[in-house]
Amino acid sequence: MSEEQGPKKTRSFKLPPQLVNTGLVPLLAVLTSMVVGGLIIAAAGGNPFAAYAGLFEGAFGSLNALSETTVWASPYIFAGLAVAVGFKGGLFNIGAEGQLAFGAVAAAWIGYALPGMLGADIPAVLHVILAVGGGMLAGGIWAAIPGFLKAYTGGHEVINTIMMNYIALNLTSFLLNGPMKDPNPMNVVARTPLIVESAHLPPVFPEFRFHWGFILAIGMAVLVWWLLWKTTLGFEIRTTGANLDAARYAGVNVKRTIIVTMLFSGILAGMAGAIEVTALNYRHELGFAVGYGFDAIAIALLGKNHPAGVVLASLLFAAMRNGATRMQFLTQIPVDVISVIQALILLFVAADTVVRYIYRIRSRDERFSLTRGWGK
Amino acid sequence: MSKKLSLLLAVVLLASMALTACQPAASGDTKPDCSKAETFCVGLVTDVGKIDDKSFNQSTWEGVKQAEKDLGAVVQYIETTDSKDYDKNISTFAEAKYDVIVTVGFALGEATIAAAQKYPEVKFIGVDQFQGETIANLAGLNFPEDHAGFLVGALAAQMTKTGKLGAVLGTDAVPPVWRFGEGYRAGALYIKPDVEINVVYHNDVGFDKTFSDPEWGKTTAISMIDKGVDIVFGAGGKTGNGALLGAAEKGVYAIGVDTDQYFTVPEAQKVLLSSAMKLLTPGTFDLIKLAKDGKFPGGNYMGKAGYAPFHDVDSQVPAEVKAKMEEIAKALADGTLQTNVPPTKPQ
Repeated sequence: MSEEQGPKKTRSFKLPPQLVNTGLVPLLAVLTSMVVGGLIIAAAGGNPFAAYAGLFEGAFGSLNALSETTVWASPYIFAGLAVAVGFKGGLFNIGAEGQLAFGAVAAAWIGYALPGMLGADIPAVLHVILAVGGGMLAGGIWAAIPGFLKAYTGGHEVINTIMMNYIALNLTSFLLNGPMKDPNPMNVVARTPLIVESAHLPPVFPEFRFHWGFILAIGMAVLVWWLLWKTTLGFEIRTTGANLDAARYAGVNVKRTIIVTMLFSGILAGMAGAIEVTALNYRHELGFAVGYGFDAIAIALLGKNHPAGVVLASLLFAAMRNGATRMQFLTQIPVDVISVIQALILLFVAADTVVRYIYRIRSRDERFSLTRGWGK
Repeated sequence: MSKKLSLLLAVVLLASMALTACQPAASGDTKPDCSKAETFCVGLVTDVGKIDDKSFNQSTWEGVKQAEKDLGAVVQYIETTDSKDYDKNISTFAEAKYDVIVTVGFALGEATIAAAQKYPEVKFIGVDQFQGETIANLAGLNFPEDHAGFLVGALAAQMTKTGKLGAVLGTDAVPPVWRFGEGYRAGALYIKPDVEINVVYHNDVGFDKTFSDPEWGKTTAISMIDKGVDIVFGAGGKTGNGALLGAAEKGVYAIGVDTDQYFTVPEAQKVLLSSAMKLLTPGTFDLIKLAKDGKFPGGNYMGKAGYAPFHDVDSQVPAEVKAKMEEIAKALADGTLQTNVPPTKPQ
């Protein structure tokens, strides 16, 4: 034990502290989770190496596997960015799930019903923009409401976004079962009709499902980075998130910033839903895109709320979800193992003291709080 | 201390490596080659649910397992975790040159049709997927709901003490639901022509509500029971399950539907007399066998219906009733007994 006291030669190797926090710790968290997950697989009588090999093959083993990984990653990136933007502004947006659902419903409605209402075809490019834009707007407004409540009444956004989730998901269920239900007589499922061709966001290559939505998602990550770190608004968001009183003292319109942060967060979440409809499913159905808004919280945390981190974390989660099929096919190890590993990652990222302790990384004494308290 | 911990971690890691290295060759190495003509491979893709769901997925998988045992088939399943993976999961088997692919449930209908067209050399079995058009390499496994209804109707008529039977169903606009209801009526009248039957369809609401209204199912069942009904047949998703709960609350016999609901509605176990079952396991096995023998029927394939074991109330069912039930089941199966229920409701 005494060797702990003395200075060590091995410590001379030093990463810049910024990189330790945002890069090394999440990386080690993922690694540790894979090791623990491997132990669980071994304990259950499986071969962890075969399992991970299958997982890797399923996620990256062929062009089609790569394409499917991007298909999984697209909604994760949008929704992960949504949650990350909220965190940057000191707001915990648990409502991405509901905002995403509304984005999907709005995009689907614009996709299948608008041409009929206008009585004319809409040019393809314009129709896609309208559908995706409509989804963004729907998600944005839905998130701005708890933002407004936070800014003007002090109502906590954690509570309000959860409550708004219930409203959004039940309303979606009502709409898909009722007014927006596919009228095809063979249909007994709660789903909308197919959107018309002009509202399709096409695949990049016709033989794969890899679609422009993924490229758009990467573009949005760049845009979010630029907005947060290169604009006045971004500075205001980050300052408000770091210290509310300091921001107010510095002359930031805190109320406005809170609402804008939530609006922007909801726009991104709504986009996740809209892209799923316009680029992948061509309709919305109850049971589509379930849980992405909650996965997004883990992704934002793992990505340390940085757009680049969110993209990497999304790719990781997407690879795991996509590769799970191949893993189960090759080894018969239940896909639930993936959920266990993802939960472990979240655990190690959220409680990064554990990771720092295991790998002897010194804490920089920088605290990151998920959310603030009540009141103005 | 932390040094010790990381040492421990390293040891554990090494131990796990050694452990797995000692294991008999991983399944990856011994993977049978399904592209060979003599290797008969059957894959199953679940709907968004688990393989051991005690319902459709599990019963179908048991049919596939039987093919492993009786036909020497190589079997494998993939559990779907998200509906966007349907296509990918089906083609995982198709790309590995599986001979038969079973997809479970209505939700996979469209993905199965698309896959059947893309892989014409593979035989597809779509459980509970009615085929509008015939595709030579795709068989929709459907079931005679009227037989299932007839069986439990006959059972109810033998078990009732008040002479009053009830049925709480979803909308009769869906033909399978109507066939369950009419089969029940026919079966009860076959045993006891003077039995009083109260069949109620939830037609007063839209399609959205008719299968997902447990409250209505429960209150309807309870009001029937209050009027003297002592056996309630519930058929129609959550609405039917609500009726089972109503019967459980009142302490009268309940009859479930589709699979053995003893396992899916545990709250009603004490009073669950039986369930009007679609026999997924033999239906799936029969189709796999037909595929192996080169007699695969494209289009719609009619499976068989049955009734579930009596479970907790087994001791309350007299031996002569059990014998009579077996007799009826046999007669329905070989066609000597007809339910006389038309496939759809006459206009």
